[in-house]
Amino acid sequence: MSLKKKISMTVNGVHVNTEIEPRRHLVDFLREDLHLKGPHLGCEQGACGACTVKVDGQIIRGCLFLAVQANGCVVETIEGLTKSGALADLQESFMRHNAMQCGFCSSGMLLAAAELIEKQPKASREEVREWISGNYCRCTGYHSIVNAIVDVLEARAKGQKIKPIIAHA
Amino acid sequence: MKAAAFDYIKPKALSDALSLLEQGGDDAQLIAGGQTLLATLNMRLSEPSILIDITDIDELKGISVVGDKLRIGALVTHTEIEDSDLVAKHAPLLKAAAPHIAHRAIRNLGTWGGSLAYGDPAAEWPACSLTLQATMVIHGPKGERKIAAQEFFIDLYTTSLEPDEILVATEIPLASSDQVFYFHELARRHGDYAVAGLAAVAQKKGNVLSNCIFTFFSVSSTPVMAAATQGIVNGKALNEQLIAQAVCTVREEIDAIADITNSAEAKTHLIGVLLERGLKHLIA
Amino acid sequence: MELNGEQLIGAPIPEVWKGLNDIDVLAKSIPGCEEISRVSPEEIHAKVMFKIGPVRARFSGKLLLSDVVPDQSCSMAFEGSGGAAGFAKGKSRVELKQVDGGTLVAYTTEASIGGKLGQIGGRLISASAKKIADDFFQKFAKELGGEIVVLDSDPNVE
Repeated sequence: MSLKKKISMTVNGVHVNTEIEPRRHLVDFLREDLHLKGPHLGCEQGACGACTVKVDGQIIRGCLFLAVQANGCVVETIEGLTKSGALADLQESFMRHNAMQCGFCSSGMLLAAAELIEKQPKASREEVREWISGNYCRCTGYHSIVNAIVDVLEARAKGQKIKPIIAHA
Repeated sequence: MKAAAFDYIKPKALSDALSLLEQGGDDAQLIAGGQTLLATLNMRLSEPSILIDITDIDELKGISVVGDKLRIGALVTHTEIEDSDLVAKHAPLLKAAAPHIAHRAIRNLGTWGGSLAYGDPAAEWPACSLTLQATMVIHGPKGERKIAAQEFFIDLYTTSLEPDEILVATEIPLASSDQVFYFHELARRHGDYAVAGLAAVAQKKGNVLSNCIFTFFSVSSTPVMAAATQGIVNGKALNEQLIAQAVCTVREEIDAIADITNSAEAKTHLIGVLLERGLKHLIA
Repeated sequence: MELNGEQLIGAPIPEVWKGLNDIDVLAKSIPGCEEISRVSPEEIHAKVMFKIGPVRARFSGKLLLSDVVPDQSCSMAFEGSGGAAGFAKGKSRVELKQVDGGTLVAYTTEASIGGKLGQIGGRLISASAKKIADDFFQKFAKELGGEIVVLDSDPNVE
């Protein structure tokens, strides 16, 4: 049954047209067809959060969203959000706190954290923990991730942004 | 694993969706938020031949006040309920319950109507709809019908929705100024299916509660209202003694069913714990 | 998981026994039954569409009867495969007793579900088993023209 559908969407600012089987979910389309390896697949059940991407301005589980459902949508992955600088202070904070080891969860973590910072700029440590409990990490034990996010919230609350330290030779 | 192949169609008109559903029969499934369905398809626990995407249908959208009721369209997402000013004002129980549903990414897509239509006994919305005395608005080949939430949830994953019908919206009476509410879920981790939960409302005057509704979820095949317990609490000054009596009654009244991690006895115990915390919160 | 219960059916024992052994009655009583055939006096094969919530899983299974005492009791072992969805296995004992109002059908069942259905659905196995049993007896009683009498005690599920 090859009932491919014609769809088009914007991915990381680039307009994309394709024909695709309805059963293929968004992350498989992004990874296999567009070679955007940032979002990962862990459980394909919506539990682990490794597949988290942004569609029309909000985070979703890419494994629980069909590519055909993204027709006409604005899709953003870690690649695009890094390029735009939207995640710069979070990424720097993650590095400072060693909040990434293997990196498998990191794309999802950063996207989830970014939405928290946007929607709940005054989040407490407890609220940060609750919010990211939808993203599983097998390496870090989570504390460094929470610390990294809390640091960004505190800096932003002061009107500052954590910036990379650039050394000049 | 990957879902088996299926066709996909996204009608704009409710009438088209209804005909497609009728034609498809057992081989068609509706998709709205897809947060339950797509996980099911990814595991090949279902292999429909066609998905009917209803997210373009206008009649299913939006939150509004119509007369003395709050109308919530089936397609309203959990996040939209969490963020809605109208909900905060007229059905604050829902705003309190929303953050308990899974996690943010799922709440951004999952829908009010989807949760009600499945009627998962552990879900928050079926219990809340009972507590808030919602009326379900349903469309089928014979037109529109309405049914009270109390008659809607029949058995495990079984609602009064016929296979050829679509839940369009719910109507909820606006909260009165003296209404108090309590929502709590006991779970091992945030976002887990509840071990036991309580969605309660009442009208409060001093330390007297009336028109109480206590709905327990994740303890049986459907959400369960504790009618006898409500009867005991209604209209009487709530003191330590009455609370103890109510806790006793609710444990006898509700026949808990075990699930894979918790025995019926554990759930029965927790039902009493939740009621006690709830009553103390309601009169505080 | 264990499921034990009693159902009072408003029909005399010989009718109930006959019904439980009648392939056509079983076909109409088993929820989601698509095909059923008696391969031998002791063996029944069936295809059942298990529909619960979003799940639609087709199970192919067989039922093996043993210790058959006509108009009284029998044991059965069952196993079914749901393809990618998982598998089920179990045994059951059914006893009939003549009481006021009809026949009391007492059953004890032990079952296990494996595979995806067991993993994902494990949370609701007990409630599902209870529902299937309830649905079965509702339809069965209707087929016999008798009625289900609601008893005070709900089936015990563990």
